[in-house]
Amino acid sequence: MAAAAHPSKAPPWFGPAFALPPAIAALLFALLLPTVSGGTAHEWTLAWAPELGVELAFRVDGLSLLFALLVTGIGAATMLYAGVYMKEHPRIGRFFLYLTLFMISMLGLVLADDAIALFVFWELTTITSFLLIGFTHDDPTSRRNALQALLVTGGGGLVLLAGLLLLGMEAGTLRLSQMDGAAVQASALGTAMAVLVIIGCFTKSAQFPFHFWLPNAMSAPTPVSAYLHSATMVKAGVYLMARFAPVFGDMAVWVWSLTVAGALTAVIGALWALRQTDLKQMLAWTTVMALGTLTLLLAGSESVSIAAAMTFLVVHALYKATLFLVVGILDHDAGTRDRRQLSGLLKAMPLTAAAAMLAAGSMAGFPPFLGFIGKELTYEGALALTALPWLSAVGLVLASACMVAVAGMIALGPFLGRERRSVAEHPHDPPFGMLIGPILLAAMGLAFGLAPALISGSIVQPAVVAVMGGPAEVKLVLWHGVNVPLMLGLLTFAIGIGLYVFRHRAIAAVDAVVTRLPTTGDAVYDRSLTGLKWLAAAQTAVLQCGRPRVYLAATVAVVAVAVLATLVVGGGLRWPAGNPTPDLLGVAAVVVAAAGTVLVVLTPSRLAAIGGLGMVGTAIAVLFLMHGAVDVATTQFLVETLVVVLLAVAMLRLPPLTRLPPRPRGTAVRDGLIAGAAGLMVTCVLLAVLAEPFDRRVTDFFEAASWPEAYGRNIVNVILVDFRALDTFGEIAVVAVAGLGAYALLRNDRVVPKAPADSLILRTALRGLAALLLVFALFMLLRGHNEPGGGFIAGLIAATAFALVTLGHGVDKARRAVGATPRAVALGGLALALAAGLAGLFSGGAPFEGLWMFLGGDPAAGDKGTPLSTVLLFDIGVFLVVVGSVLAIVFALEEEA
Amino acid sequence: MDVLLALLAGLLTAAAVWLLLDRSLVRVLFGLALLGNAANLVIFSAGRLTAGAPPIVPVGAEAPLETVANALPQALILTAIVISFGLFAFALALVHRAHKDLGTADIDALHDAEPSPHADPHHSTPETGR
Amino acid sequence: MSPAMLLTLPIAVPLAAAIAAFFVGRAGGPQAARWVSVAGSAALLVVSLALMAEVWAVGPIAAQMGGWAAPFGITLVADVLGAVMVVITGLSGLAVALYAVADIDPARSRLGWHPLYMVLLAGVSGAFLTGDLFNLYVWFEVMLIASFCLLVLGGDREQLDGGLRYVFLNLVATVMFLSAVGLLYGLTGTLNMADLHVALKQVDSPALVTTIAILFVGAFGIKSAVFPLFFWLPASYHTPPVAVSAIFAALLTKVGVYALIRMFTLVFTQDVDYTHGLLLVIAGLTMVTGVLGAAAQTQMRKILSFHIISQIGYMVMGLALYTPLALLGAVFYLVHHIIVKANLFLVSGVAKRMTGSFELERIGGLYRAKPWLAVLFLIPALSLAGIPPLSGFWAKLVLVRASLEVESWLIAATALVVGLLTVFSMSKIWVEAFWKPHPDGDAAVTVTAPTRLETVMLVTPIVLLAAVTVIIGVVPQPFLDLAARSAAELMAPEAYVRTVLGAAP
Repeated sequence: MAAAAHPSKAPPWFGPAFALPPAIAALLFALLLPTVSGGTAHEWTLAWAPELGVELAFRVDGLSLLFALLVTGIGAATMLYAGVYMKEHPRIGRFFLYLTLFMISMLGLVLADDAIALFVFWELTTITSFLLIGFTHDDPTSRRNALQALLVTGGGGLVLLAGLLLLGMEAGTLRLSQMDGAAVQASALGTAMAVLVIIGCFTKSAQFPFHFWLPNAMSAPTPVSAYLHSATMVKAGVYLMARFAPVFGDMAVWVWSLTVAGALTAVIGALWALRQTDLKQMLAWTTVMALGTLTLLLAGSESVSIAAAMTFLVVHALYKATLFLVVGILDHDAGTRDRRQLSGLLKAMPLTAAAAMLAAGSMAGFPPFLGFIGKELTYEGALALTALPWLSAVGLVLASACMVAVAGMIALGPFLGRERRSVAEHPHDPPFGMLIGPILLAAMGLAFGLAPALISGSIVQPAVVAVMGGPAEVKLVLWHGVNVPLMLGLLTFAIGIGLYVFRHRAIAAVDAVVTRLPTTGDAVYDRSLTGLKWLAAAQTAVLQCGRPRVYLAATVAVVAVAVLATLVVGGGLRWPAGNPTPDLLGVAAVVVAAAGTVLVVLTPSRLAAIGGLGMVGTAIAVLFLMHGAVDVATTQFLVETLVVVLLAVAMLRLPPLTRLPPRPRGTAVRDGLIAGAAGLMVTCVLLAVLAEPFDRRVTDFFEAASWPEAYGRNIVNVILVDFRALDTFGEIAVVAVAGLGAYALLRNDRVVPKAPADSLILRTALRGLAALLLVFALFMLLRGHNEPGGGFIAGLIAATAFALVTLGHGVDKARRAVGATPRAVALGGLALALAAGLAGLFSGGAPFEGLWMFLGGDPAAGDKGTPLSTVLLFDIGVFLVVVGSVLAIVFALEEEA
Repeated sequence: MDVLLALLAGLLTAAAVWLLLDRSLVRVLFGLALLGNAANLVIFSAGRLTAGAPPIVPVGAEAPLETVANALPQALILTAIVISFGLFAFALALVHRAHKDLGTADIDALHDAEPSPHADPHHSTPETGR
Repeated sequence: MSPAMLLTLPIAVPLAAAIAAFFVGRAGGPQAARWVSVAGSAALLVVSLALMAEVWAVGPIAAQMGGWAAPFGITLVADVLGAVMVVITGLSGLAVALYAVADIDPARSRLGWHPLYMVLLAGVSGAFLTGDLFNLYVWFEVMLIASFCLLVLGGDREQLDGGLRYVFLNLVATVMFLSAVGLLYGLTGTLNMADLHVALKQVDSPALVTTIAILFVGAFGIKSAVFPLFFWLPASYHTPPVAVSAIFAALLTKVGVYALIRMFTLVFTQDVDYTHGLLLVIAGLTMVTGVLGAAAQTQMRKILSFHIISQIGYMVMGLALYTPLALLGAVFYLVHHIIVKANLFLVSGVAKRMTGSFELERIGGLYRAKPWLAVLFLIPALSLAGIPPLSGFWAKLVLVRASLEVESWLIAATALVVGLLTVFSMSKIWVEAFWKPHPDGDAAVTVTAPTRLETVMLVTPIVLLAAVTVIIGVVPQPFLDLAARSAAELMAPEAYVRTVLGAAP
């Protein structure tokens, strides 16, 4: 496999080397023939995902073995052929890699006995097929066709998956061999499962109306077409239908779908094949015809129908692979695949012609080829169908007659007649490696026809037994005696030869019909894809319109409406009872806050708006203070001050509010409604919460434990640095990062440092004030554990002090006063807090558990002394982070402003 | 009183949303500031109001002697205030920088991250994301 | 190690690394900080694996911060879900840190990219490990501010604009979250999530509880980018450096999904028909709108961004179905998605370096020129599309089966159709960037990075993540087992509650 990496011209041993493993595998499978035909099924199981009941279970019964032989045998022939055919290709290594991967996947598919394992291999064949159809990826058509095959068969695969999963649930097992048809058909989901499986099979096996992808897949290199898109992969659907015949076979939906789609597909494939001028396209359409025939026969419940299907499967694989390979030779060595330009090559390419004619004989169904036996059986099987036997037989006669004509066009046209030299200079038979496959396969078609016993008992019958799920007698013979199938066969020859002789007129007639058809599957596919893209673009243009205001409006509106609707519909609206009467100061604060809010909203002046924000912040600080929240009020006040300062500094650089027009009426109504809904949501839910009783047990614990256990009298501070220190730690991380981020955003555009205020008095006053503030900050920090204060507040005060120095003396002076880069101070603080937090952990306790020591205690008097602890270190860390981060922002803004 | 605070929280939220939906990035910043206040009020009221006494254990006592304000929401708000401040400072710096580099503080004039399909894509999508 | 150690280190390690990265960057030059990021995230991966091993061995573990018993202090707690999420954070964090060595330029390093990156990981780990709702808010904020900074750092025009879009919508979400926490506290008097599980059983106002639950759906819905709250994501994820896109794509929305899963299995299970029913509708619409959004894009990173949304839908679907199998699927999907999505962004970055653009129209020729990159793209891309036998296949298989089992035909069909459309999107990238010849000729496909070291650093994490994808796909059982245990814990959170609250809840 290492050879697959070679990028350029392949050595001559390449093809044989890759052909060897499948050839050996084919031999090994052949060794299983005696036991399998004796009724034994070989099983091999490996647990894969027991949680889901999925096993890598493999089972070789007659059906699997038939397919395994086709996959490996034709695989070997193809590999050998491709080694020569592709030898000039620079990426032949990849080609063989994909081909081998495909072969393994296909083998897995036909051997898997676990529905999920089967699906895994099924999908792998889809993917390798995609890569191979697009192998000539420089060509846009190849890319398009590869994508089409991927989407059609991939989509069908997903439908199949749903069917398999349902089947697994209803049947109680994922093992195909253990599924009980009666139970499945009795299930309420029986029809659904059958339809899902059928769709999966139809897409893969190119049944009408999904047939269109297969002829397009011919953009793959010819060995791929021969192997994947004729002999093996497209038969995966047929295989699965055969596999599920015992499960679904008695259901009307199964019988009718297979009959109708199969017959239609067969006829369409045959007629379209006639029209083609490209021999490869012609073969592709005959493959469609063959797949239709197989599907049609699998609808049958009599063993003769199934036997016909299995025999025809072999017939088709042998002649079709040969013909594809022959067309590849013509393309390769005669320079074209256009049947109108090929003639008289018999003398130049005798061996190729021999292979072509042998295969065509089987295709046309002449005796003594295997194709003759197959066709007789096919008619017999069609007449034994449950649904529409005669109509099906007529369809098959028509389709087979076309096959006769097509066989003539492929095997006679290029070789007989006058030799033309217009295409290739010296057409000649290809090297041995390209010939051996086709000749061998074609010869087998003759040999099995002469001696059908070679395959009837050992290969076909076990397969039929497997499909029927019970004993069945199959006997292949050349001469059946005079009966209806024979008559139909003779009729077929008559029509077929007629069609060949009058082919120009026949093609014109078909063309006349075809051009009147309203549409083709291909066109529908294109339109669906265009439609999908249109739908995608349209929905995205609406949803992701590129306008942030719409995003925000939609986001808020959706949440507000959903929350309000839930509350109102659920009957959760409540009015809190016993709510304390508002006092005058409270009402006044609320009124001021409301007035400030209105001012911010309405004013066109930036300064007034900032003032309004200040009013709101201060009023809320007062409300906090009134309700016992001293620390919060202080912090709120300090933060509000800083916000206002930052806004004021930044605002000088930002455009005034009046530059933009007010929003138009429609937008204003929309925004107003959304804003109102959001406000209403907050008020209503909050009121409903307030109407419920409150459980105060957590706070009760804090109040009881704060001093005795955490050695702090200021409960809020104790919560911050001890009970919930982790919150505080996260919070200072946020602040530190905000400092880093704001610095990073602003420092890029450093302009001239702003001149400091030039009033000496102001400078002196500021310096004094700053010093005072610093002392005060230290005081607040140290006392914080027992009285209002603490790291935040102290940090904010200190930051304000340095900010004043900045305003008064410029950033440089302030920097010197701080003594370190603010960001380093902030991260140093974070490090200190982290260390303090982890100290408890590393000394055997919990993280953020304080380590305490007491100075000068007098236990006798009940005085524990002055407590010192890691908790204080933590609070100092908080202090440093706040100072550093705020200064980082202030400095950056100042330097930039 | 708590009903009044609930109404105020609603009013602040509504005003904040109104401002956030404005074209001017400056007003959006105002909206952010108000929104933070609204959330703090919600937490504060939801923890129930107690007039007067701050949650401090008097010297010489093991626990507060009278009913004191609920300390937990206060701690939560303190944390939230500081976090909001950090986020607000960042947002301010971002608006500032965006105004400087993109030349506008009008949200509707921003087309760099999501150019409209009709605009010339080569004009406004500089190579980024190395 | 003690539970306290195991639970603290995943937060403390990246934070310590952040501080170290800052000072190392100042002392040893900005590029020295790169290696601190690598070391920090590697250490995170190691400690998280130790945590995982412990949780796997003994079940959920908890540590009371400061030694204060729950529900009074803050509890850190890890069940299988939490531990798995931290492990996957470490893994994707390490991968992106390696990639960043080459991807993040000295200018961004100098501005503090690496400390910020480490803080981001710390915030994410904290969010996964905390057992306290307000503390969850705090970690969300840590993560958020770090993401803000990483998003705009370096300040290209596009980045700044994307940053504005991201910042304001996310700030609204955090305020919603904060208010919701406050309201829930007002209703129950507690913040500890396990305690909330107990306390809400005593609250006798179902409508109000459900209302607050919906407010949480809104807040976390914005974070996790579900329909119709996802606007911020496709507006911004394509603007920063690839390393940033990749880690955002891997982790940020998933923290939102994690929070949804946690809240709607542990706390809000009073009115499952309504809340989870609503989530199911959201999930379906998210899948469809996300994948259609991707189909409309022509730029690699925008395609990938919309796919994040679509796949969030799958995870929410697993939660919404609320059966053991469905939750198994959701957890499995989370893990799979983080690895695959991070990797796709990394691959898109390498592809861009080689071809010069993220615009599919302007690139091509990679298949011929760089077949190894084609393989490295196909693995996560096919996995994302749910092709077997890769990780995404099992994720989708489980979810589809879970929905079929409860006869939710519509959501099963949606999941499958969206799967097909995902195939369509991934094949679009494949066809345009890999198969199609480069419009300027294949010679326009150039080397990856200036130096050999940098090339190695770009490719190593991609190989690492691709290998994990393949391993999960080929040997799914251990991961399914993990997800199954997690799902069992989520469906029956009593063990979690007992671990947090102690013997007598």
